[in-house]
Amino acid sequence: MKTLTNTTNVDGARANGRRQIVYELISGGTGLVLALFMWGHVILVGSILTGERGFNWMATMLEDYYIAQPTVAAIFTLFVIHAVFAARKIPAQLAERRRMIALAKGLDRAGREKVPSRRDNSPFVPHLESMLWIWQVRTGMVILVLGSFHLILLGVDVFTPLFGEHAGIESTTSMARVAAGLWLPYAILLLCVEFHASVGLYRLVVKWGSGFLPHRRYLHRIEQFIFWVVLGLGTITLLVLAGWMSPPLEFLLTDVAS
Amino acid sequence: MSDKETTAPRRLRFEIFRFNPEDPESEPHIDFFEINERPYMTLYMALNEIRETQDSGLQFDFACRSAICGSCGMLVNGRPALGCRTLTGDLPETIRLHPLPAFKLIGDLSVDTGTWFREMAERTEAWIHEQQPFDKDAQEERMSDDIAQAIYEGDRCIECGCCVASCGVANLKPDFLAAAGLNRVARFMMDPRDKRDDADWFEVVASEQGVFGCVGMMACADVCPKELPLLEVYAYLRRRTLGTKFLAD
Repeated sequence: MKTLTNTTNVDGARANGRRQIVYELISGGTGLVLALFMWGHVILVGSILTGERGFNWMATMLEDYYIAQPTVAAIFTLFVIHAVFAARKIPAQLAERRRMIALAKGLDRAGREKVPSRRDNSPFVPHLESMLWIWQVRTGMVILVLGSFHLILLGVDVFTPLFGEHAGIESTTSMARVAAGLWLPYAILLLCVEFHASVGLYRLVVKWGSGFLPHRRYLHRIEQFIFWVVLGLGTITLLVLAGWMSPPLEFLLTDVAS
Repeated sequence: MSDKETTAPRRLRFEIFRFNPEDPESEPHIDFFEINERPYMTLYMALNEIRETQDSGLQFDFACRSAICGSCGMLVNGRPALGCRTLTGDLPETIRLHPLPAFKLIGDLSVDTGTWFREMAERTEAWIHEQQPFDKDAQEERMSDDIAQAIYEGDRCIECGCCVASCGVANLKPDFLAAAGLNRVARFMMDPRDKRDDADWFEVVASEQGVFGCVGMMACADVCPKELPLLEVYAYLRRRTLGTKFLAD
């Protein structure tokens, strides 16, 4: 069926097809791993909720067993790969982006107006996912900047003895930094990452799994639930790190301390 | 609806895109029309009333007025919909109408979806490919009910172009097959009478013009007036390309 393609070079088209699959698998796969890592990340940093003791124990353990160092390097690599391959579908021209945004906004707003006579089964319901995609691009750009900063900072922490009393992550340095003003970029990064990751996972699951998974209405609800839970946990962690809140789970380690 | 009928009818305000590409004098602009809403009024009825009573030059397409011919797709308050199937009662008092984007404009609300769909059908050779010469005496091949149902589901597409117009990618890339095109491809891939195998389809499906051009905005499935399972079609094609990734050249 060589006439199926516009190109006369069928072998080239086949090679291109293979490349497209690989690109899609790389962008989706790295996104999946990074999103799953972010949930683990919230739990690791969440060790501060048990107090500085718990946080330092976690950090030291991960560094002493050489888990932290390769993880930082691997996540940074995946981060860059994901940025390259996921960005391949972002329109390059500003005019194209504006057209996409206008389309997505129209779809998002249609059906939002209050209309008393609207039927319950009206097809005019707001369509969110196009706008969610636009926001994923926007948050992705923010993550690329702030995430790079964060990864480089943590890379310096785990690989060199530049900061703090010993080489590695320690609560004193981390809390002092966050309190001194890093809370702001970290709060923005937290919001962007959790949004980007949960929407990305939802989209990935719909893209590959539609047909034998529950309807995406339910998948979207699961996605929103995960987003709010992880965002809430992350916010409390950030508040504790900034010193604006005492660790709520400190009692867990009081026996060890006494 | 019964108590609403007794209250005073709403005054509907239409903001309609006007442009005639054939006329060098014509400039794209918005015209305003007002009519009284009637019970169970559709955009089909409203636009005809406007044309009959206010502006006989207003261009728009309708044929069947029962959501089966696919001519009356238009942007209604920013969302692609069929004019004949859209009740004004579901809409606010101000109704903005634009022609479907991603298609060639004929004039005002009328667009040429035919050329797009013809090109798509020719590119995908959207007809049954038989390898055997036709034998008029042979009995028709049997097909399982599940496959027949699945094929019928895809065949319900009326080619209105709403999915294409709602697709961010199709709006930027004229050669993207979009949901309507890939739905057609999937329909022939499932059909046991079609003798093309996965290797024949590979270049079309696994390309930037095919399923991997999709960014996953999911608007196609939301706006489809026939509620076709378009996301399921995309996922089916994505999974199927994985099986053919390593096929021989």
